[in-house]
Amino acid sequence: MKNKIKVGAAVLGALMLSATSFADEGLFGYVRLAEPLPKGAMDFEQWFTVRSDKGEGQYTALDTKTEIEWGVTDRFTTSVELYGLGINTSGLMIDAYLPKDASYVWKPAGLEVATKYNFLSPAKDWIGLSQYVAFSYFWEDVHSGQRKDVYSVEGLLLAQKYFMDGQLVLAGNLGVEATSATRKPIDGLPPDFEWPTTPEMEIEVTASAGITYRFAENWFIGGEIFYQTEHETVVGQERWSVQAGPTLHYGAKKWWATLTWLPQIRGGGLMYPGQTDTDLHLIEKTKQEIRLRIGYNF
Amino acid sequence: MPIRPIHALLMVPVALVAGTAYATEYLTAPQAQQAIFPDADQFIDATVELSDAQRSAIEKQAGVRQRWKKQAVWRAEKAGQLIGWFIVDEVVGKHEFITYAAGLTPDGRVRGIEILAYRETYGYQIRTTEWRQKFVGKTLADAFKLDEDVPNISGATLSCQNITKGVKRLLVLQQVVLNRR
Repeated sequence: MKNKIKVGAAVLGALMLSATSFADEGLFGYVRLAEPLPKGAMDFEQWFTVRSDKGEGQYTALDTKTEIEWGVTDRFTTSVELYGLGINTSGLMIDAYLPKDASYVWKPAGLEVATKYNFLSPAKDWIGLSQYVAFSYFWEDVHSGQRKDVYSVEGLLLAQKYFMDGQLVLAGNLGVEATSATRKPIDGLPPDFEWPTTPEMEIEVTASAGITYRFAENWFIGGEIFYQTEHETVVGQERWSVQAGPTLHYGAKKWWATLTWLPQIRGGGLMYPGQTDTDLHLIEKTKQEIRLRIGYNF
Repeated sequence: MPIRPIHALLMVPVALVAGTAYATEYLTAPQAQQAIFPDADQFIDATVELSDAQRSAIEKQAGVRQRWKKQAVWRAEKAGQLIGWFIVDEVVGKHEFITYAAGLTPDGRVRGIEILAYRETYGYQIRTTEWRQKFVGKTLADAFKLDEDVPNISGATLSCQNITKGVKRLLVLQQVVLNRR
């Protein structure tokens, strides 16, 4: 199955290469920038995120995001995103989270519409500041690969600062996401296995920061740190995690690519029975995460 | 645990980088010299090697870093008389350096600027006469501020900002170094 995901990623990458067009430049893999697209500009972006290793059993997931973004005005940008999921999980069952083995290369998993409004320009003002708002509906649970209706609204404050005339870029995001999620029933689960199908409400808080330096023409290297915590109606604080790692970016006139490795370095909250890595959250998160973003500017 | 799908992901940027190269040069330095100083009959190389003290003085007065120790400068002369300074400079763009040239009159006014190489995604309007014309006649008494005395170009704010600060820095360089020669 790992091979299937590998092939899937390569095929999607190849499709990207064969397309002649398209995205808002992402210097980071996870941290968003405050800069908007100019009026009338359009870009295309493709994400591939591989999440793997829960410490027990087999777990590898591939998240994809396909985005088209459009500059409505010089300050206001809107986008539409299609999410996809490929998963291979076996040998690990967790009540309410991982009900059974799952294995498929790729399925459409969700849709999102988002807007970004720029208040202050990072190049003109002391600091760049934008607001990002997204509404999403997922019909696949990105953790288990099972059916689950998930409605979310997310708000983020995006800050960005240039140093050394723009050769060094510092960015930070702070956000809150509210989610209503309902699992779909699954036939044939063991009688004592918990799989609640009543709606749950979740609040997720995210804080992230990144710094990147242009070490050669077109090339940036840097690092990112990403904190996330989630509270939900049944268990209170369900999880928290800190991920951190390096990021490499190449930006050309019409296209760009960013590769970020963001392993989980600390985490807490709920743990599954028998979890040996007690300083990580491994129910919804994994030990390893790597993301490739590719964008094309029209 | 090894993350094998990474190998497939790594293939994509490598292929992208391998398959793409570009360079957009609009003018050579001699062409820009003729555009800004059509009345000059000779340009004499007057390249400047800046001392640390001079760079500090420029940075302090211009409010922007003098990145280069060596600055390409020519004396524009007509019938043996100095009619201005022609300077080629580079400033940080979003992806690559932007190469431009500025002509300065002996009394410290901008005679004109020309964009020699620009390779960014947006903002090709900086090459237009209309935008470049905004610098003509400027002195160190001017603000050199985007959206005040120099218009911003959406999508190319960093480029506009750095060129604007760059031109001011060249006026300071003239005052600190060239006028004292």
